[in-house]
This record gives sequence, structure tokens and C-alpha cells, in this order.
Amino acid sequence: MEGTLHNLLIGFGHVFEPLNLLVLLVGIILGLLVAVLPGLTLVMGVVLALPFTYGMHVIPAIILLTAMYVSGTYAGAWTSILFRVPGEPMDVPLLWDGYTMARRGEAANALGWTLMSALGGGLVAAVVMVLLAQPIAKIALTFSTPEYFAILFFGLASVVSLGGATLVNALISLFAGLLIATVGVDDTYGTHRFTFNVPLLSDGIDYLVVMVGAYGLGEVFLRLEQGFKSAPLQAIDQIKTRLPRLREMLAFKGTFLRGTLTGIIVGLVPGAGATVASFLSYGIESQYGKRRQQMGSGIPEGIIAPQTAATSSVGGAIIPLVTLGIPGSGATAIILGAFLLHGLQPGPQVFATSSNIVYAMFASVFVGIIVMCVIGYFAIKVLVRVLDFPEVIVSAYVVMMCILGAFAARHNVIDVWLMVIFGILGYLFERFKFPITPLVLGVILGPLAESSFMTTMISHDNDWTIFFTRPVSGPLMVVAIITLVYPVLRHLRHKSKIRKAP
Amino acid sequence: MAGGARFSRTLPYVVPGVAAGYLYYVASNFQFNERPGTLGPDFWPEAILALMIVTCLFKIVAELAARNDAAEIGGVLEEIIEESAGEHSAGSPPGAPLVESHPYLLIAGMALTAGYVMFIQSLGFFIATVLYLALFIVLGGYRRWGVVAAVSVAGTLLLLFFFMKVVYVSLPIGQVPFAAVTLFLMQVMGIR
Repeated sequence: MEGTLHNLLIGFGHVFEPLNLLVLLVGIILGLLVAVLPGLTLVMGVVLALPFTYGMHVIPAIILLTAMYVSGTYAGAWTSILFRVPGEPMDVPLLWDGYTMARRGEAANALGWTLMSALGGGLVAAVVMVLLAQPIAKIALTFSTPEYFAILFFGLASVVSLGGATLVNALISLFAGLLIATVGVDDTYGTHRFTFNVPLLSDGIDYLVVMVGAYGLGEVFLRLEQGFKSAPLQAIDQIKTRLPRLREMLAFKGTFLRGTLTGIIVGLVPGAGATVASFLSYGIESQYGKRRQQMGSGIPEGIIAPQTAATSSVGGAIIPLVTLGIPGSGATAIILGAFLLHGLQPGPQVFATSSNIVYAMFASVFVGIIVMCVIGYFAIKVLVRVLDFPEVIVSAYVVMMCILGAFAARHNVIDVWLMVIFGILGYLFERFKFPITPLVLGVILGPLAESSFMTTMISHDNDWTIFFTRPVSGPLMVVAIITLVYPVLRHLRHKSKIRKAP
Repeated sequence: MAGGARFSRTLPYVVPGVAAGYLYYVASNFQFNERPGTLGPDFWPEAILALMIVTCLFKIVAELAARNDAAEIGGVLEEIIEESAGEHSAGSPPGAPLVESHPYLLIAGMALTAGYVMFIQSLGFFIATVLYLALFIVLGGYRRWGVVAAVSVAGTLLLLFFFMKVVYVSLPIGQVPFAAVTLFLMQVMGIR
């Protein structure tokens, strides 16, 4: 515990270095702007910031992306509450009570509740993140390849189970991602797999190219097809935030606690991010809250529940990223990319090899949340004006950043072509309701899954039952299978309910 | 459902299914020295492709047999969102326009992007990017010409400066005679 505190203090020292603090400030502002603009998603924003980190040292690079990730979960609430325009999918639940409050003339109160929820939920989750990360990493150090494969299998199963319009589409998306990850020269045999005599493919397909194309360019193509629009703003000069008093907040401590816990737990699960946390937390409050009957009528609980969960999911999602090297969401996948670009492999060893970087990241979450709330309190009026900016211009620059991001990775135009291909694929995926997250996580986790599977097979004479007979991997595999089957059971239960209904 | 419509609904699964079949054939012909008792480098991709083929076939059969119910099992996230949104009328912004579709814009945007990648090596980053940004913005329906010109030129100069001077990314200079423009700008900006 003392060691953790000491390391965290060193982390704060890194964050408070003038350059790093400036980077954090830039990251927070960019994250807030990305969250406000409906055309830009949080993941897209973090993807687009990645090329700017190529020339940076690892600590400022990680601080920039983490700061964007943190603040990206907050500012979309403003436009939901004020203009009924959710900046991100996670902000939709804020329409139900937040906008209703604003319509009653209580916009300042609603914004105050949002700010305190982001602050409270985010900070509590950050504390949990710091306390849990090292013990989890210690446990993970005892894992062998079967356990690793089981963890990855569980991660991929939960991505499939959670995401997507249909289970079938999510599975196809995941298989496509896993397959893309096999392109290149095989590590064990040196065999060329799916390279089709293209020399650059021998090095494999960089997952950054896939992410930038599928998340960034694909989304722009989709918006181009739908026609760009800008939301007309009204009454911007009257915007202000009124913070709730301590006594008022204490009256909602149960909601704060439920929201924060939901966010942390959901953040820990691969594939589930701030959006799931926000909706789930609202749902839990609607079922178990003291004033569940009044949810949707413009009460603070309807703001506190989704906002605490959305921001606290950040702390939760960083835990598996750092301790196991498994990103739980699109945004953490990009942060993993930044680690790898700088030659660092997150995982249980990271506390022994690069604890200063990890704790700088942790400290940046704390500082980022506070800075985000301060900026949110004072600069909301200025920041929401970005909604007036023509979406088409933003999108044109999004494409530029995608192209530059793909090019800068290996200084090769073939990567840009690949990015464009994945952009078109991303558009088709969106168009035909194939989720993109399983594709991207398949590309990222595929090589790890394959190597842990193959090593296990080599070590255990191709006995696949080993995954089910070891004390840690066995239960994990069972949980993973249940996770995969759960949507089917849910569907069958729903059908039987319908059949029984008169 | 009419047969034609049903068939068109299977297309998004026929295409990956057929592609997976072809790739399975490619994978089964990987060249490597077999080691007895060890799985080869073809095992993992073949396993994934086999699962993909089975999944696509399942969906295609379900669509053709009009038993789509089983294949429409939703992800938990989607259902959580649908359930929550279903209880509230304000799930989407009021007065939000129905989603429009401009397929020609999309095709033009894709062609423009592909053209940009095709010509960036010969035109150089500056000329290609200024043209691309201006055309993209105009294509997107924006018609304030002064803003279009300013945003394209100033933005490209900023990107050129940042990536070449700050993060040392060697952007394409272009071929003669276009290279002269990029080289001139690099000289003005002090980029070596």
C-alpha cells in the first residue's frame, strides 16, 4: 500500500511537469470538443489524436490519450441536456431526465448534477483502479498460457455477446478480425499467410490501420451518405452551471454509489464501455432507485446514474488494459496501441518494468477528471459553440487525420490504401449492422490468442481439455461459454414470455 | 417475404461466406515443413474460417427458410439500449429528420479519397491535400467559397508544418514539376 502511494506520488510528479500538464490540458479540451460534436465519437477522437503522439515521449503520449478518454465521457451530456443533441450514444439516457429538467428551466441544476456525477464517479473509480491494479497484476503473474487463452476467450466472448445488432453479425465481425490478425509471416514456422506476394503484408496488417479506417473513415463515409448537418444553437448566452450543495448530494448517495459500481464493473468487462455502463446504470436506477416511478420526469437520479457510470467506466477499463494487456474498449485499444508504439507491452510485468509510466497514467486520470470539471464549469459556454461549426469541415479533417495516421505508422502509402479499404469495410459494417468493436478487438487480441493457444497445444500434446481442467482457466472457459450462450437464453426466455402472454 | 428480397438479405452473408471458403482453400495450401505431433500454421486460420463459414451458412439457411428468428438473436448491449430507449419517448431528438441517403455523394466521396491516395505521390502532400479538402467540403454541400479556400489552404499548411517539422513524418513531396511547390513551402517553414 505504501509502495502504491509512493509510486502514485511519482506519477503525479510526472503529470505536473509543465509540458505534461499542457498536454493533459490539450487532451481534456480535445476530449470535451469531441464529445460535444455529434459527428465525432469518443473512440474516433482518440484514434485521430494517435498520430500526434508518434513524435512524443511515452508519458505525454499516454497522458494525452487518457485525458481525451476521460473527458470524452463527460461533455456530450451538455448538449443532451441543453439542446437535446446527444454528443455520444452514452449521453442518450441524459435526454430523459436532463433535458426534461432543462425544459423546466432547471438547466443549470442539471449541468451541476452532471459535473458532480462525473467528478464523484470518476474519482472513486480512479481510487479503485489504483488499489486493484497491482494485486490483479500479481495474480496474473502466476498465469500460464492456458489461463491467458481462457482470459482472451472470455474477453472475445463478452465482446460478441454484448455488441452488435445480432449475435451472428458480431461473430462474423470477430472472425474477420481474428483472420486479419493472421496475415503476415507466422512466428513459429515462418510461413507466409495470406500475403499474396505483397511484401508489406509479410509484416502483417497494423491494427492501427484497421482501427483508423473502420472507426474513422467508415464513420465519415456513413455521414457523407446521410448528408452533413449542423445543429442550430439557441440561448447559448444563458448557459451556466449551478453546483448542488453537499446536503443535496448526500440525499442521492445511493444513486452515486450504484452508478459508480456499475461503471467500474462494466468497465472491467471487455467489449462493454461507457455506453453500456450509462444505459445499464439508468436501467438499474429505474428498477431499484427510491424514486424509480419518477425516472424520466426530470429528477437528478436520472442524471447521476448514467453520468457516474459513464465516467467511472474509465477507471474500470484501464485495469485489464494495464494488468493483462487486454483492452476492454475501443478507446483503451488505442491507448494500448500507444503503449506498443513506444515499445511497451502492458501486462502483469508492466509494474516491474515501467511502473513510472503506469502510475503517470493513473495520476493523469485523477488530475484529468478535476481539470475536466473545472474547464466544464467555466468554459461550457465557449465549448458548446463548436456545435455551430460545419460538420463537413470537421469530417474533411477527420479523413485527413485518418490518412496521416495510417501513413505515419510505417511511412508507406500501401498502409493508406489498406486504411481506405478498411474505411469502406467499416462503412459496409455499419450499413449492414455488423459491429466494428469485435472486428477491432479480434485484430488486436488475435495474435495473443493464437500464440497462447498454440503454445498450450505444444506444451500439452495437443490436449485441448487442458483449458477446462486447470483451476483458473477451467472456470474462466465455462464463464466465457455461458457469456456466449447468454444472448440465446435471453432470446428464448423472451420468446416464451411472448408465447405465454394472453 | 418475396424470394428476391430474401435473397438480397442473404448477400451480406454470402459474400463473407464465399470469401471465407476461398481463404480456407488458400490456408490449406500454406507451404511449411510439417512437424509430427504439432499443429501447423494453417490450423488457427483454418479453424477461424471454418467457424466463419458455418456462421454464414447458418444465417443464409435461416434467411432462405424464413426462420430468421433464430438468427436474429441480439447482442445484450443492443437489447439493453432498446429496452431503456423503448421506455422513453425521447430516445431520439425531437424533430430529428429521417435518415437521408445520398448514395452518389458516398460514391463520389469514396472515389475522391481513393483519387487522393492515388495522386498524393505525384502531386505532393500540399497540392493534393488542398485540392482534396476543398473538393470534399464542397461535395459535402458547403458553399462559402472564401471559407472553403481558407480552411483548405491554412489547414494543409498547418498539417504540413506539424507533421514535417514537429513529429518528423516525411510526407510525400511529389514529382517534378509539383515537387517545387512543396519544396518551396518547406524552405519557407524551415523544414529540412
